[in-house]
Amino acid sequence: MKRSTRTLSIQKREALWAYVFIAPWIVGFLIFTIGPMLASLYYSFTDYDIISAPVWKGLANYQKLLFNDPLFWHSLKVTIKFAAMALPLNLVIGFLIAVLLNQKVPGVNIWRTLYFLPSVIAGVAVALLWVRIFNARIGLINPILQEYFGVQNPPGWLQDPNWAVPALVIMSLWSVGGSMIIYLAGLQGVPTTLYEAAKIDGANTAQRFWNITIPMMTPVIFYNLVLGLIGAFNYFTEVYVATSGDGGPVRSTLFYNLYLYQNAFRFFEMGYASAMAWVLFVIVLIVTLLVFRSSPLWVFYEGELRK
Amino acid sequence: MRTKKRFLIGLVMVLALLFLASCSTPDTPTDGGDTAPTDSGEAPTEAEGPAETAKVVIFIGMGTGTDPDQIAAQEALADEFNSSNDHIEVEFLIVPHEEAGERFLAMVSGGNAPQLVGPNGTSTISQFLDTWMDVTPFIEAENTDMSDFYGPVLELNEFPGKNVGLPLGVYPSFVFYNKDLFDAAGLDYPTHDFSDTSWTIDALRDMAMKLTLDANGNDATSPDFDPANVVQWGYDDSWASGREFAAFWDGPNVGRPTTDDYKTADASSAEWVEGFQWLSDGIWTDYFIPDYVGQEAYYAVGGDPFGGGLVAMFHSHTWFFPEGLIDLPFEYDIAPVPYNHNGTRVATIHADSFTIPDAAANKDAAWEVMKWLTSPEHISDVCQIYGCLPARISVEDEFRGVLSTNWPALDLDVVFDSVEFLDNPQHESWVPEWGKIEDAVNFGLDQIYSGENKDAAAVLESVNTEVQKILDEYWADH
Repeated sequence: MKRSTRTLSIQKREALWAYVFIAPWIVGFLIFTIGPMLASLYYSFTDYDIISAPVWKGLANYQKLLFNDPLFWHSLKVTIKFAAMALPLNLVIGFLIAVLLNQKVPGVNIWRTLYFLPSVIAGVAVALLWVRIFNARIGLINPILQEYFGVQNPPGWLQDPNWAVPALVIMSLWSVGGSMIIYLAGLQGVPTTLYEAAKIDGANTAQRFWNITIPMMTPVIFYNLVLGLIGAFNYFTEVYVATSGDGGPVRSTLFYNLYLYQNAFRFFEMGYASAMAWVLFVIVLIVTLLVFRSSPLWVFYEGELRK
Repeated sequence: MRTKKRFLIGLVMVLALLFLASCSTPDTPTDGGDTAPTDSGEAPTEAEGPAETAKVVIFIGMGTGTDPDQIAAQEALADEFNSSNDHIEVEFLIVPHEEAGERFLAMVSGGNAPQLVGPNGTSTISQFLDTWMDVTPFIEAENTDMSDFYGPVLELNEFPGKNVGLPLGVYPSFVFYNKDLFDAAGLDYPTHDFSDTSWTIDALRDMAMKLTLDANGNDATSPDFDPANVVQWGYDDSWASGREFAAFWDGPNVGRPTTDDYKTADASSAEWVEGFQWLSDGIWTDYFIPDYVGQEAYYAVGGDPFGGGLVAMFHSHTWFFPEGLIDLPFEYDIAPVPYNHNGTRVATIHADSFTIPDAAANKDAAWEVMKWLTSPEHISDVCQIYGCLPARISVEDEFRGVLSTNWPALDLDVVFDSVEFLDNPQHESWVPEWGKIEDAVNFGLDQIYSGENKDAAAVLESVNTEVQKILDEYWADH
């Protein structure tokens, strides 16, 4: 009997069913992600104030952004300054905490929970809490600095242009538990045979840490680095709450996304804000690609052979 | 096999329908009752056809109106209106203030604009100026009597190219003072006599320095005064924006950082420089005004400089009455704003109105509701909800009674007489790129309060440059 030509092969049928099952997600992705992205790309070439129809302007928004808006460069500088401080600290502190929590000590699960819990609290609540902690007159930190460390003139923190970004960096460390959990999972995946072999060869703790733990953890560090970079460039909620959306004092906390928000919803320049969003996308893409390109130099995967 | 095929086809069809439904454009509102003024300015006409109940949604959230007490009072107001009117149904839409701007824009761009928005301060009206309709044709068509509104207040609703609505209420400003702190310092209270020319900004400074105390009880005139440990300040005006603070000094354009034609920046006039330098000296040399770090102390007492008892004199408006004058543990009163160095007095004012979005349906009905809310019979009740003084002269006596019942300690003559000294151009008045210019001027104020730059002339020079750049960019496209 001749096989019907309309019958699909097993592979094709399985593929089709796979598409059927992921179709809801694809539809949602198209409607709620790709659709708005394409709309914002269009708006980035227009003068659009939300209430009236967009007017085509070509590259004018991008030209203004790159050549005629000092606040664009200022906001980028503030964001990069924050990322340069927050990212290494988050990576190192998260990693070190994970190393400590990887020890077999009684009650370690409780400690793991305690360190992870802050990272699940919503951004707004965290920001409000830290605004209170950083209060230069009645907060937690300055009285301790004055009373126990003899600091005569403690910083004004969020009210001091020189200390506002460092304050936000400290605030960002609150959520280090998230990356800590991922490091912990990675640490528990390092083969113990490597440590045993190193011990036999006479390696001490520091040498085992430096020559086994860190290289074996580089894929996880790489992962957290990429996510951390993206997160740092998209930093918004905490700074919006801490500064009431003003980016003060004296624009010292005018992060890129905050300036984007101001252009969109305070100045009603949705077209310009859309251009900012796409420029941010390109910047983050370039930085991420650079990190990926650098990865062969410092990221080691298990079983990988190198010359 | 056949069952699986049918299932597959059915699922794909459902997904396709969902996708198409999400892509459909929103229904445009039916304009059954919409009789917007024509371009020629002709008077609106009543809709023809069978009478239908026109829905008027009043969007609350741009300004005040979102407290639980206010919500209940507004619902009662809606019931009162609806029971007396068969053709219009009023509904209050309460939106949290933090998201009101975005929600309003979303409604307008989505073709679902509310019929009335308010109570809007001048700043909100200015920021969203292009969204409001011009009610002049309504006023002219009905020959609406405007004589009962305070004359200077009527001017506050005049914007370039349009009158946005009937005035609802005003919030004049004055100096709140803590009598207990004055008594403890052995000082006379500030005069309430508006004609007393000895009550100047310099007299305020001298008084404030004696009322500023460090942790050891030394005042700011004492050689032992420790500026690093101030626990009580003589004066605070930290709730004022840059433009409002500058307006007091009565420069050529008062509270507006541009000339009349909005083309030239005027943010570094001699008066503005003098004012900002007075502020800088008050914070960093004489120490009677708290800087940003000092203001953090207010959060120990709920964020209120005056009610917390940390400040002897506080410049604010009548909207502070229901906010800050509740069960205070000390005696207090209000005094007129002092004379500035020009020998004039400027008591900055806030003003509220309801406005009708140009994109709204049922504009006729919205206008009827606006008239009802601002009518002599109802304006007093409405203003009690929002804490403003009714903009109508004829209800002043009635409203005095309300104020004296709620705040018997206050000299109400100061409240009503301060209206006469309002700032015009008002400090929230429209300028091109309102948000950007506001941001630029506040950046200047920021530099003073943070200590980043204590030289007012230098600060305002850079502010002026920034404002001029914004104006040049605006006019290049308009």
